[in-house]
Amino acid sequence: MSLLRSSDCERRFGGVAAVGFLIAIVVTAACRAGELTVSVIDPTGHGVADVVVVVAPAGPATSPATPTSPVAIMDQRDRAFSPRILVVRVGTNVEFPNNDTVSHQVYSFSPAKKFQLPLYKGQLHPPVTFDRSGLVVLGCNIHDQMVGYIYVTDAPFFGKTDPAGTLRVPGLSAGEYRISVWSPFIADQASSLTRTVRVDAQAPAASRVQLVDALRARPEPRPPRADWEY
Amino acid sequence: MSARLYACLVAGLCAGPALADDRLTVVGAVDVRWVHSTSDLSYLDGGLGKLRFDQDDTGLRLGRAFVVSRLRVADIVTLHAVVDAYGDHDRNPVDLSEFWAEVRPFPTSALRWRVRVGAFHMPISLENRGPGWSDVYSITPSALNTWLGEEFRTIGTEFEARWLGASSGYLGDVSLVAAAYAWNDPAGVLIAARGFALTDRPSTLFGGLGRPPITFYHEIDRKPGVYAGLSWRHHDRLEMRALRYDNRADPVASTVAGGTAWRTRFSSFGARLTPTANWTFIAQYLDGDTIVGADEADEDQFRMTYHAAFALASLEWGRERLTARVDRFGTHQSSGFYYGPAADDSGHAWTAAWTHDLGAQWQLAAEWIRVTSRFPPRASYGELPLNVESQTQVAIRYRFTAAL
Repeated sequence: MSLLRSSDCERRFGGVAAVGFLIAIVVTAACRAGELTVSVIDPTGHGVADVVVVVAPAGPATSPATPTSPVAIMDQRDRAFSPRILVVRVGTNVEFPNNDTVSHQVYSFSPAKKFQLPLYKGQLHPPVTFDRSGLVVLGCNIHDQMVGYIYVTDAPFFGKTDPAGTLRVPGLSAGEYRISVWSPFIADQASSLTRTVRVDAQAPAASRVQLVDALRARPEPRPPRADWEY
Repeated sequence: MSARLYACLVAGLCAGPALADDRLTVVGAVDVRWVHSTSDLSYLDGGLGKLRFDQDDTGLRLGRAFVVSRLRVADIVTLHAVVDAYGDHDRNPVDLSEFWAEVRPFPTSALRWRVRVGAFHMPISLENRGPGWSDVYSITPSALNTWLGEEFRTIGTEFEARWLGASSGYLGDVSLVAAAYAWNDPAGVLIAARGFALTDRPSTLFGGLGRPPITFYHEIDRKPGVYAGLSWRHHDRLEMRALRYDNRADPVASTVAGGTAWRTRFSSFGARLTPTANWTFIAQYLDGDTIVGADEADEDQFRMTYHAAFALASLEWGRERLTARVDRFGTHQSSGFYYGPAADDSGHAWTAAWTHDLGAQWQLAAEWIRVTSRFPPRASYGELPLNVESQTQVAIRYRFTAAL
């Protein structure tokens, strides 16, 4: 997964640039800058998908941050959070639309954001603003097996790895960057999940996070049967 | 709209302020089935047959019609009711099976709690996970869970504390449950007299079970019963449960009307493994005893021990579910007068079931079950103690859900 792919950078930003002159300036700067590819590899040599990657300059920020929407969506479908893992910048409003067939009562008691949000059918629900960095673990008061994660970061660049276990971050100015990765399914010590990498504006840089410990079992999506009750 | 109105009327919860926002949800279902049985006279008709339907019942039968309603009184307070009709010539053709209020506060730490007050099934069965305690893997639950549905209902208060592992990085949780209850002193009378059976015929709260009906929900000695259990859920793939039950009944207590308290205690263990999205494996075990009569120093005290176990494998794909199960069960009278041949029961059963969803509302279900058992009291009916009974059922089920 890549928020901005260098190969289609001009084309995609071309569309954005049509929207506003200011954004076009940002885009032009980004397309001239360096690119970083982060790979997360499990002990068997396979890429790990859906891993949160955050990239922050080791020194003063010089690159424009990844453009993101001020609103993100954490939906509920088939008695599960969708996506299971969401990564947002500090200050983002997250909507919980509830496109499931049943009601939910979403909550978090994580220090980064404590909230309780009943999601009854037919009601409009205000978005929740995530105004502190940190991991927010979501639960449902009606369905204990529902677990979701919102990773709130103040880093300027972030995203999740694609099915091959990689994330490309274009638009970086030359300099040193600190990378950290996170997933609820990674069992390695957090201290071994950070890297510092130098990005050169002229050539793509790469960083590989090789996991040592086996991944934790990832719950398989299992849509509820019509005759089940949870 | 008419379906909603009907659901509302059946649930009896239309009165009061206007309902909205999914405040009331109602699930209703009707199960009609064709039955063929080689069983002797079912115990539901006064015989000793171990299956719900006997030879006289072959043909078209009502399996079950039920309405399950859930009313949200406040964000954390809900009322639940289960109303059943089985068509087994019951004293109450329509009766209440469960009714409870639940308080479930939003967790503010990794330790969450909830309380149930009312009349409900205790958390043992790993098969009965459908609405209204219905078995989703086969038509007929195991001998173990059949018995729990027949003689037991928690009429009291249950408290659950659950440690939520996700906030600590663990994908699972552990819960401790404890309950105090009354009105379950006769529990044990059926297992002592009849042994185990395999039916989808739980008792209802007021109408009793069988002919003449045995009623199980009486308070005779004014002593509350208790149970405590532990469950562990790991990675959404494994769930394990253990529970110790003791109704603390005084085995010499009785009522003028002839009701007797049975001291019934048991331990139960169960595990449900879901290694892939398609396969489910369940195993449960239970053993205990029931006592009635004079105290332990008296040789006349009747004591019966019992045990039951089953293992089940179920495969799901698309609209299909295939299930195979093997049951074993036994009872043994270890002391007390013998009024005839000892009512020791021992046997095993094989069950094969298939369900096919015809959409969100219709389902086809078919089941074949064969029970082999030795039960000496059959001699007094002119039957051989060792008997093999089988039953085939093909059901068409309609289910609706309404929310207001």
